[in-house]
Amino acid sequence: MAANYWASTQRRHWLFTREKLAEIRESFKEKDKVAHSQFPLPDQRLLNIYFSQQLIKLGKRMSTRQQALATAQVYVKRFYTKNEIRHTNPYLVVTTAFYLACKMEECPQHIRFVVGEARGLWPEFIAPDVSKLGECEFSLISEMSSQLIVHHPYRTLSELQPELSLTSDEVALAWSVINDHYLTDLPLLYPPHVIAVMAIIVAVVFKPSQTSFHGSAAPLAGAMRDGGLNILAALSDKNGGGPPARIQRLVAWLAESEIDIKAVIECTQELVSLYEIWEQYSEKHCKELLGRMVKTKNLDK
Amino acid sequence: MDSRNSSRPASNPSLQRTAYLDLISTLVSPKSFLTHSQRPKPPSFHPQPSVAQETFTTASPAMDKQQPSSFQQLEKLGEGTYATVFKGRNRQTGELVALKEIHLDSEEGTPSTAIREISLMKELKHESIVSLYDVIHTENKLMLVFEYMDKDLKKYMDTRGDRGQLDQATIKSFMHQLLKGIAFCHENRVLHRDLKPQNLLINKKGQLKLGDFGLARAFGIPVNTFSNEVVTLWYRAPDVLLGSRTYNTSIDIWSAGCIMAELYTGRPLFPGTTNEDQLQKIFRLMGTPSERSWPGISQLPEYKSNFHVYATQDLGLILPQIDPLGLDLLNRMLQLRPEMRISAHDALQHPWFHDLPQLQAQLQQQQQQQQQQMSGAYGGMVPPQQAY
Repeated sequence: MAANYWASTQRRHWLFTREKLAEIRESFKEKDKVAHSQFPLPDQRLLNIYFSQQLIKLGKRMSTRQQALATAQVYVKRFYTKNEIRHTNPYLVVTTAFYLACKMEECPQHIRFVVGEARGLWPEFIAPDVSKLGECEFSLISEMSSQLIVHHPYRTLSELQPELSLTSDEVALAWSVINDHYLTDLPLLYPPHVIAVMAIIVAVVFKPSQTSFHGSAAPLAGAMRDGGLNILAALSDKNGGGPPARIQRLVAWLAESEIDIKAVIECTQELVSLYEIWEQYSEKHCKELLGRMVKTKNLDK
Repeated sequence: MDSRNSSRPASNPSLQRTAYLDLISTLVSPKSFLTHSQRPKPPSFHPQPSVAQETFTTASPAMDKQQPSSFQQLEKLGEGTYATVFKGRNRQTGELVALKEIHLDSEEGTPSTAIREISLMKELKHESIVSLYDVIHTENKLMLVFEYMDKDLKKYMDTRGDRGQLDQATIKSFMHQLLKGIAFCHENRVLHRDLKPQNLLINKKGQLKLGDFGLARAFGIPVNTFSNEVVTLWYRAPDVLLGSRTYNTSIDIWSAGCIMAELYTGRPLFPGTTNEDQLQKIFRLMGTPSERSWPGISQLPEYKSNFHVYATQDLGLILPQIDPLGLDLLNRMLQLRPEMRISAHDALQHPWFHDLPQLQAQLQQQQQQQQQQMSGAYGGMVPPQQAY
């Protein structure tokens, strides 16, 4: 959001390689094998979806700006690179990340209101005592080394809109793709401009149909696969007309820009895999496993 | 400043202490939301004995340097809206620091202003911006460790100048450093929003640095939620006074212009008492703007069609000491219409600064003399400062 991304704490301290992230999670497991066998949790990717969805629910209840919600999403992810989920009450962490992000993005909400709304969503996991939220906030700030400014891809998208003459439909679609990337590890893995370019490519090249986009992810995954094949076919078809002019223009722009194309492709793959795994996602299952963990370990107290 | 903060009665410190001691016990008990027992690194909260000269031990999270360093707390330097500032000394290096102690409020958690300031200071590293060395989490408070500066510009003018007026070379050097700091903020899309002599810090080397980013905000995404309750009245830009909520970097330039004039006269340029009085004082000197000189002005919430109409005065008349180039720059900064105000970047290129290197050489000589004098009279007579 503020300051220069290239010199930012986000780039210096909160960008991980996939290997590093896997290593961190493995080390949590090594340190507390008992908890891991006692409290099996869904796959990390499913947990990512679950936490993001919970945050979105809380944000909707309080009609929060997307920017604050996005920042909260990143806080949760950062926090869990420092802490084992099984040692925390994820509902309190999600609520606190939201509360802190609202302060950071200058749309503060009163602590009592936040606790009240969180209790409305997860009455069995959030205590009425507001000081718990204040304490958890203190801990969140500390765990993130007070590095709270988050750069998001939305700004790059707005900046590139005129340059690439994106239509409002394309921008809207790219915007939703950016929203979706918070359901994955991507914010910890790639810089925001790479995510933004990925979202633009998905919107322009794959053009998944607008109507089927929300709610069900499968059509997008399919469209992206098919669309990708179509583009590859078009690009390799030397005799034909080649890809449409719009796409040619985007490809030319990409070639000229110094954007890491490989990273953009990896992001696209991650997103495809999100839409695929989304089909197996069961909110109920995640909720049950987490609920059992929080209750058995008294993490909500 | 932060209305949410100031309107609230002071929280009971003993209650807060209990709450955070309670926190420590939950942090080490397996029932807590966070169990630290599994972790090799030290817990982030250390109960400390409350004695007159407290020692704060850093136990920064893994991201920071792991070396714990401790600070001896010396005299109080000032009290802000949400913090108390102490002078401190690094026990290991002997280096002086400013310790800004943030009060936590059980009803608000960590104050938003503190959160904003800390996070911005973590990103903004520049020679014209006061450095944040460390953030220390103790059991019931947050302690920011800043680089030590000797005094704020207000105090500096009171003690150094001739009835507050400064010499040409010092004025030029300070304005250059001020504009460098502002330009850096603006390049990084940060508005300071509260520039005033009390927030500009001076050290013995003659360096000027921007401090107190409690009201600063980042201006990333276009936002229409800017609170219009910012910037101390005297340095507040006319567009903000007229109720504009879409202000931008130009508000900091207006403040810089007011500060420049004050450096010459030793007195605030527009010492208004209320919003209306502030506008009137500005118009009386700069002329009353109209739709013709400032298209769109009549749409601003606080605009009145019956503003008293003043003609534009020559700023040079009230600033007899200023040279023509300096006056030209000042006039470019004090444009009523925000779009007409010079940017910090362009101001730094202004011909007024062309002879700065020669002047700086002169200044250095002066400072060496001053330092010799000061070191003689430096017996705990350090004036307080508030701007961290």
